[in-house]
Amino acid sequence: MVESRDPLVRFGRLGRRKFIKYGSLAVGAGVMTACTRGGPTTTGSAAGGTGAAASGDGIKVGVMYSTTGTIAIVEKSLQDATFLAIEQINQGTGPWQGKQGIMGKQIETVVVNPDSNWDLYNQMSKRLIDEDQVTCVLGCYTSASRKSVLPVFEEKDSILYYPVYYEGNECSSNVFYTGAAPNQQITDSIPYCYENFGPKGFFIGSDYIYPKESNRIAKAELVNQGGQVVGDEYAALGTTEFITIINKIKQAQPDFVLSNLVGDSIPAFYRQFKDAGITPDQIPIMAYPTTEEEIQAMGAEYAEGHYSSFNYFQSVDTPENKAFVEQFKAKFGNNRVTNGVMEAAYLQTFFMAQAMEKIMEEGGEINTASLREATRGQEFNAPQGKVKIDPDNYHTYLYSRIGRWNSDGQAEIVFATPSAVKPIPWSQALYKGRLCVHPAPDDRSDPTQETGTDLQVEYLES
Amino acid sequence: MLDFSAIQVHTFYLAQEAAATDTAGGINIYSFANQLVNGIGIVGVLLLTGLGLAITFGVMRIINLAHGEFIMLGAYVTFLMQSMFQMDLLLTIPFAFLGTALIGAVTELTVIRRLYGRPLETLLATWGLSIVIQGVVKLIFSAQLKYVKSPPYITGNLSLITGADGTQLVAISYYRLFIIAIALLMLGVTLYLLYQTPLGRQVRAVAQNREMAKCLGVNTSLIDLLTFAYGCGLAGIAGAVISSLKSVSPPMGQDYLVDAWMVVVTGGVDKLIGVLAGAFLIGESGSAIAYILNDPVARVIVLAAVIVLIRYRPEGLFTVQKRA
Repeated sequence: MVESRDPLVRFGRLGRRKFIKYGSLAVGAGVMTACTRGGPTTTGSAAGGTGAAASGDGIKVGVMYSTTGTIAIVEKSLQDATFLAIEQINQGTGPWQGKQGIMGKQIETVVVNPDSNWDLYNQMSKRLIDEDQVTCVLGCYTSASRKSVLPVFEEKDSILYYPVYYEGNECSSNVFYTGAAPNQQITDSIPYCYENFGPKGFFIGSDYIYPKESNRIAKAELVNQGGQVVGDEYAALGTTEFITIINKIKQAQPDFVLSNLVGDSIPAFYRQFKDAGITPDQIPIMAYPTTEEEIQAMGAEYAEGHYSSFNYFQSVDTPENKAFVEQFKAKFGNNRVTNGVMEAAYLQTFFMAQAMEKIMEEGGEINTASLREATRGQEFNAPQGKVKIDPDNYHTYLYSRIGRWNSDGQAEIVFATPSAVKPIPWSQALYKGRLCVHPAPDDRSDPTQETGTDLQVEYLES
Repeated sequence: MLDFSAIQVHTFYLAQEAAATDTAGGINIYSFANQLVNGIGIVGVLLLTGLGLAITFGVMRIINLAHGEFIMLGAYVTFLMQSMFQMDLLLTIPFAFLGTALIGAVTELTVIRRLYGRPLETLLATWGLSIVIQGVVKLIFSAQLKYVKSPPYITGNLSLITGADGTQLVAISYYRLFIIAIALLMLGVTLYLLYQTPLGRQVRAVAQNREMAKCLGVNTSLIDLLTFAYGCGLAGIAGAVISSLKSVSPPMGQDYLVDAWMVVVTGGVDKLIGVLAGAFLIGESGSAIAYILNDPVARVIVLAAVIVLIRYRPEGLFTVQKRA
């Protein structure tokens, strides 16, 4: 373990004995912090564990997920999925069959743990870029952490691959968004709710940027459809007490609940929802952040009959997904499940690797500018199906699916688009006709374009 | 850390919130009654989580910041018992008590014992301990949320007022009632132990005057050990009972720590009955405010009220007047 760099406490004018006493306390605390936080660890085979010797001239990539604190519940699995992808790239297995690393070069990971603390994400991304000199960073989960690191990546002109469905309304030259944009998750699920459940929606979420913004878009969509917002409630991040919110839902009698709760609030809410005697026949829950992992934690009987909208479910029927689930379980244990965010963390690592390979094939040098240009337009046969990075807005063509949870904790897919949907970063319900087009080559100028017209839904040609 | 950032966020959104609640319509009397009845459910959780702290802080004066982690350990004992022996949740409660009491006893022997009379160091040490326990649990069980099966025979709702069309207007779930029952039972047991048994008399004697108790032949270090272990065991029971209603994860204890402290500080640390009053006050006022405004705002208001209260009544609401 690496010793923490900053002195924890400073003492002035202390006797020798006292100094020793406090000193040992400080050292003890330092060891504890190091044990739980874990400083940056550079290793070529952290992911592989195979002992494939890091040659020293590998490609350094930052991996920034919290493995401690509230959000660790989710980010640890993202890290697992990322490690699986890097192992497969370095060893030439899985989708990387027949190759070995990036044209023979190994990917070296620099792993940091920001401890679910938004400020630490900012500091650690600076450290990754300035001190460790990584080529790019794979990481972040919450929008709050992305907003915290965005200025760093823009100022230092480095690249972040961000694997999470998010509220949209952002278009940076320094971020590749491989999770769903609003039109790939919200825009399909709201009409589905309106048609199948009814016009009255009750919106709940955790109290931070993503749920608030996401609900704002969803509410605008519902009103556009002719529906009605009968409630809008938020719970502090990490809350597990939902008596008040459930009581307000009972009073409002909505046709459906749209949940943007995250983390450990999810199992608590579903359990108390059922415990309060509300069945999915009366009021179904449509959720975005509720995935296979949370269902496993709450017990499938509490989610049965409720819905989630996602690009990927473990039950998606493709050969790539069968292989992915099998390989993931082989590496991390048979009782683990895969979910949409993990799949995005997995596929974005391959986007990165393919882009690096393209640069090497063309004999170029891997740096921010070349990686950015090479990543644009990359295609990959992901577990969810064929996906592609949109060359204009750096978001990803993804499938849009709605799943109804079964008694075995898996989703029965009740709605799916025929192929991947073109991402529209700006919510069209709020910013009609606003487009994001980065120039080629990207000179990092303002990419927003106003067309003022309705944008048509476009699909990826398979 | 997280709580502070959350507070910043809600003050930021306060204006928006107010606008949103205005559109929600007026207060429905049945719904409000339902809220107050269900507030009792919150009281039960607060009472159960605060009780262990009332022992370790109220009786022993140990500032135990690892209290939340003992609650978490209780929940993990339940999880472990269920996954290994498919045990019913009710049967795991004694194991949760014994398991956490044992860990509490080890903690007392190795850490707390060496720091009596030094509250600042105790505070630091227990805070460090909470990080260590969280880290160890994460190493053993991983950071993923864990599934605890609730007892299948405690489901459904007790309907107090049923509407004309058969809908439950005011109802409370049986599991919430079960939590309250366990909490009151544990409060009763604790009161009995403390005030009706020779052991309890010794505990109180040590708390009041350690030197004198020692002179009279009380084995003070054994009493300290037992009291601390008992307090931790109560936290373990809380964790076991709450686990199936809420989420089980390594940081779960942090959520209860603040609430438990608020309950104990509000109620007053001298009288155990103060815990009941503190839990009732905080639980009911919190749920009433949450109904009128919303949850995050209610939390801020209650927290601010507690701060004001301890400014003017640092000894809490229920305390014996002592001669200066």
